[in-house]
Amino acid sequence: MRTIVWLLAAAFLALVTILLSQKGALDPLRNVALTVVSPLERGVRNAAEPVADLLDRLAERQDLEEENRQLRQQIEELRAEIAGLREQQSLSQELQELLKVQESRPGDKFLVARVITKDPSNLKERLAIDRGREDGVAEGMVVMSSGGSLVGKVSSVLDDFAWVTLITDPNSSVNAMVMESRTQGVVSGTLHGGLRMELLPQEAEVQPGNTVATSGLGGNFPDALLIGEVVSVQGSPQDIFKKAEVEPAAALSRLENVLVMTSFEPPRLDSTP
Amino acid sequence: MRYFLLGPLALTVALFQVAAGPYFPLLGATANPLLVLLMCWAMVRGPRETMVLIPLAAVFKDLITNDPVGVSLLALLPIVPLAAVRERHLTQSEFLPIVVVVVVASLCYHLVYMVVLTFLGEDVPWLQSPLRVLLPAALFDAVLTPLFYLPLRGATTLLESRTGLRAVG
Repeated sequence: MRTIVWLLAAAFLALVTILLSQKGALDPLRNVALTVVSPLERGVRNAAEPVADLLDRLAERQDLEEENRQLRQQIEELRAEIAGLREQQSLSQELQELLKVQESRPGDKFLVARVITKDPSNLKERLAIDRGREDGVAEGMVVMSSGGSLVGKVSSVLDDFAWVTLITDPNSSVNAMVMESRTQGVVSGTLHGGLRMELLPQEAEVQPGNTVATSGLGGNFPDALLIGEVVSVQGSPQDIFKKAEVEPAAALSRLENVLVMTSFEPPRLDSTP
Repeated sequence: MRYFLLGPLALTVALFQVAAGPYFPLLGATANPLLVLLMCWAMVRGPRETMVLIPLAAVFKDLITNDPVGVSLLALLPIVPLAAVRERHLTQSEFLPIVVVVVVASLCYHLVYMVVLTFLGEDVPWLQSPLRVLLPAALFDAVLTPLFYLPLRGATTLLESRTGLRAVG
């Protein structure tokens, strides 16, 4: 009985307060309640937010892992695309430089070749290019860098590929000339990937910084092809010849594209009498 | 004296419900920890104390929300008659009937709430609310029940044993 009375009284109270509330009579009370409670409410909310975020993250962890996997895959694809674009950009720049070389030697014909590999041996300085006999490449043809300096010459030819012996190869020798003094000598490769100019007359004026180019003697190389720059000169007064260390002009260790001068073929020295 | 403890507890739960409840939805619905506390209280300790707490906590909750003041009081009233289930001893377990009455009280709460809002001229999505509000909220409240029941049961048992010892002494 007491419960029923309470229920009726409470229901009556609820209905009255609802009506009062609808008329705005309880608004001042609401205002006071909110004024008192709002700092506490804000504190609770501030504390709840990070906890809710944490729970959300835990709940979304599987989705995040999947999303993470997809994003990683996208990054990988985009990186591959960027690498491809950079490669194309680099190739384009090199081709522009090669074009300049072509323009600087209008009488010669060039074939652009891509360096595909290098001889792994420590004793040889050779590289392979993606042009061969079918492209018109022949043994002895001169190979130049995209900047127009001498790289070496074709030493063996396959149908689609060719091997180029670099001027730094120990077996290579090029008749050369110090441009400033017109002193002639022979540039050979050393075991350390460098160049040495030998057979320089004792009285010749050769100084560091001088430019070394092909002399054209012997007919194995055309003349006036840049080889490099004199770094140092060695030799005592009693020696007959001086030697000079030469720094190659072409970045031989970083070649990507080269020019094969197809218009120049060295004279063949037949063994027939 | 106990009301000086119970009153602030109920008010604190109401405050947490209002401030933190929206951050922890389950199936799109928020829980009603005040209802769960009062229902558990009525089932463990009898409805007498809740008859004081319900108006106090309900009016407080309405004052700090946008609800018409009194609607929560009306919606929480079913707790008192539902607590009569404890006298029936339908099962050996005390917990299972509490979960059931919490679910029923939750459904009643929302139904009363929706009726009041409808009478006050607000648009209430009656067709969508069973699946989107009533059932998820009831489920959420059922999940919360052990959080309130177990400490309340433990504290009540402790108090009863002390009282018994004093009586024997």
